[in-house]
Amino acid sequence: MTRNSQGIVVSLICSALICVTAAADYAKAVRHAGAPSSNGPGSDASQQVTFTRDIAPIIFRSCAPCHRPGEAAPFSLLSYTDAKTHARQIAAVTERRIMPPWLPAPDDPIFADDLRLSSEQIALIQAWAEQGAPQGDPSAIPPKPQFVEGWQLGKPDVIVKATQPFALPPGGSDTYWNFVFRSPVAQTRWLKAIEIRPGDKRLVHHANVLVDRGQTARLLEKQAGSGFGGMELTIESEVFDPDSHFLFWKPGSAPYVEPDGMAIRLDKDNDLVLNTHLQPSGKSETLQPTLGLYFTDKPATLHPILLQMENDHLLDIPPGDKDFLVSDDFTLPVDVDLLAIYPHAHYLGKDLQALATFPDGTTRSLIHIARWDLNWQAVYRYVEPMLLPKGTTISMRFTYDNSAENIRNPNHPPQRVVAGNRASDEMAHLWLQVLPKDSAQTGVDPRAFIQEAMARHNLQKNPNDFEAHYNLAALLQIRGESAESAAHFAEAVRLRPDDATANNALGATLLAVGRTAESIPYLSAALRVRPDYFDAHYNLGNALASQGDFTGALLHFRAAVRLNPEDANAEANLGSAFAETGNVKEARIHYERALKLNPNNELARENLQQLEQGKSDNHQN
Amino acid sequence: MDPLKAAPGKVVVLIFVRTDCPISNRYAPTILRLSTLHAEKAAFWLVYPDKAESPEAIRKHERDFGYQLPALRDVHRSLVKESRAQITPEAAVFDANRRLVYHGRIDNLYEDFGRARTAATTHELDDAIVAAINGKPLPVDNVPAVGCYISDLE
Repeated sequence: MTRNSQGIVVSLICSALICVTAAADYAKAVRHAGAPSSNGPGSDASQQVTFTRDIAPIIFRSCAPCHRPGEAAPFSLLSYTDAKTHARQIAAVTERRIMPPWLPAPDDPIFADDLRLSSEQIALIQAWAEQGAPQGDPSAIPPKPQFVEGWQLGKPDVIVKATQPFALPPGGSDTYWNFVFRSPVAQTRWLKAIEIRPGDKRLVHHANVLVDRGQTARLLEKQAGSGFGGMELTIESEVFDPDSHFLFWKPGSAPYVEPDGMAIRLDKDNDLVLNTHLQPSGKSETLQPTLGLYFTDKPATLHPILLQMENDHLLDIPPGDKDFLVSDDFTLPVDVDLLAIYPHAHYLGKDLQALATFPDGTTRSLIHIARWDLNWQAVYRYVEPMLLPKGTTISMRFTYDNSAENIRNPNHPPQRVVAGNRASDEMAHLWLQVLPKDSAQTGVDPRAFIQEAMARHNLQKNPNDFEAHYNLAALLQIRGESAESAAHFAEAVRLRPDDATANNALGATLLAVGRTAESIPYLSAALRVRPDYFDAHYNLGNALASQGDFTGALLHFRAAVRLNPEDANAEANLGSAFAETGNVKEARIHYERALKLNPNNELARENLQQLEQGKSDNHQN
Repeated sequence: MDPLKAAPGKVVVLIFVRTDCPISNRYAPTILRLSTLHAEKAAFWLVYPDKAESPEAIRKHERDFGYQLPALRDVHRSLVKESRAQITPEAAVFDANRRLVYHGRIDNLYEDFGRARTAATTHELDDAIVAAINGKPLPVDNVPAVGCYISDLE
């Protein structure tokens, strides 16, 4: 007598928590808002302003990080001559706050790496340019700023380079290109930082790294390593280990080092996908980015989560509309610390704001970008994490300008624009990186409460939201709410009858509650769509075995073992299927393999003991 | 070499550029396209007003950006003055009688620093060249260019 059930496998993969795993940050050194304004006595703009005394300190601190050889800016600002030959331009772009690039409003919470100049600094620059950009005492120039050359965090533990360079044409509009890097690790490692070196920085507006745990992005490559075009990436991520880090590069940014306990997991079969926004320079260019990986021994113990707010299905902007509003409001089910925020729209985006309304009714702006500019999009990290208590409502308020007056409007004349991933489509997305506070609630990971609330919220907005049904079902299943779980998986399958993952999950859930006969069509459907689907073979093997069809079960367990030779449970179940069909010799081989893979595999151990027992019984008789 | 004395009977187009001006560089494909389009009736010249840019640097710049146009240094700013140019990139169009008929932006790709359209929707230089070739009045007024100020140079 052997047991043949070893539970079910529901893949916890979903395509819900899409897009950004990742994005960003700039300088590791935290600079505070406002910038030092004091230039000492004599900084009064009505007196003569000189480069060496008044202007060099501003330019060296606020401009030179990008305006130097090898960095993103088109010319250097490291000497008097450099500054003099661009003096009027510097005055013009600083006066209008085009440079340094910084989008959030002055009264927003304080973000790391605030690049803004103070009004006093801007006035000094204006006065200096008007006075003919005088040099002043050459010997009084402050020391040239020192920058780390090469890798900003020192030599990386591992460097990976894009397999093939990308050829950027000399002209045309902006280009979006994705590079897929195969995981360089042989076993799971923890990353404290990824330094992105996108290549010639003058061509790159920004870049994001996403951890692609399901190796789905590479399917878009024409050939392995070729990369692929596209502005927005959709990457499957796991429901219960959502990727929760922004890995973002923009000009002038230094790699962000995750604090202890917030490392990023990298498995051997993960891909790293680099999404880049490129601008033609006027000549043909090639780009072959590299990533520097920095490991830590400290695994993740703190688990932030990315909250994604959006309302894409309401994004349907009539041509000519100058002020189209898209909003979303989400109420937090648990206390969280807000760590970082990333608002995102395309070329019609106009005014992007996020607000918090606290349980006592007071409100606070989380970020407000009054003149959205996709080219300078960034992840903004709060210098001090902001506590958002349970019951706080986060509100997204984005407006769009689809008139001809919006010079970035990709359509001439303006056309109706709806949500989508292309540059000519629009998006209304707001990501918040939050760290749930430890809660006394039942010992359940507080992220699960947030995800359940988010899935239910998304279903309210759109009852046909596949990902929301799928995610909610998966969360309910973990909580043991199998009936409701099966209902939502069934909705997911109804919405996407050809989705292998959803079919498998529905089949597995039905199997778990004993509705074996009902489960088989869904598991079979999953395999029709994806014949090499380990989980579905494993689950269907179990379903058939529990109906007494051991020959059928044997086929599927065999397929499962072939697909994943290191899965002890699949080996043990294959052993059981052989035992049930009378093939004791093969059964023993597979039980032994299961025990070799996992000496604690009880099914294999017990069944092997029974086989040995039976054998000795036979000998005795 | 005075470009205004060469190519009699042709329209003359001067394009003021700078090796380190990103907006000027981004216009290279447009400049190439227009100079090819009008090659029979318009003589194009690149003019480098920055005296700090050596002939070697200019030759390298031309190679890098695929320019196949004659280039001039304008260290005394005489062409800048004659063209009333203020910015790189900026174009000046002289008709067959060497009258300055247009000076200003090439097109409206850039509205401001850092604010570019996905593609230009007005094409002032092209329109001005066509009008000059046909001896017609200029269809547009001079429109200031967006880019790097020539007056910032030594």
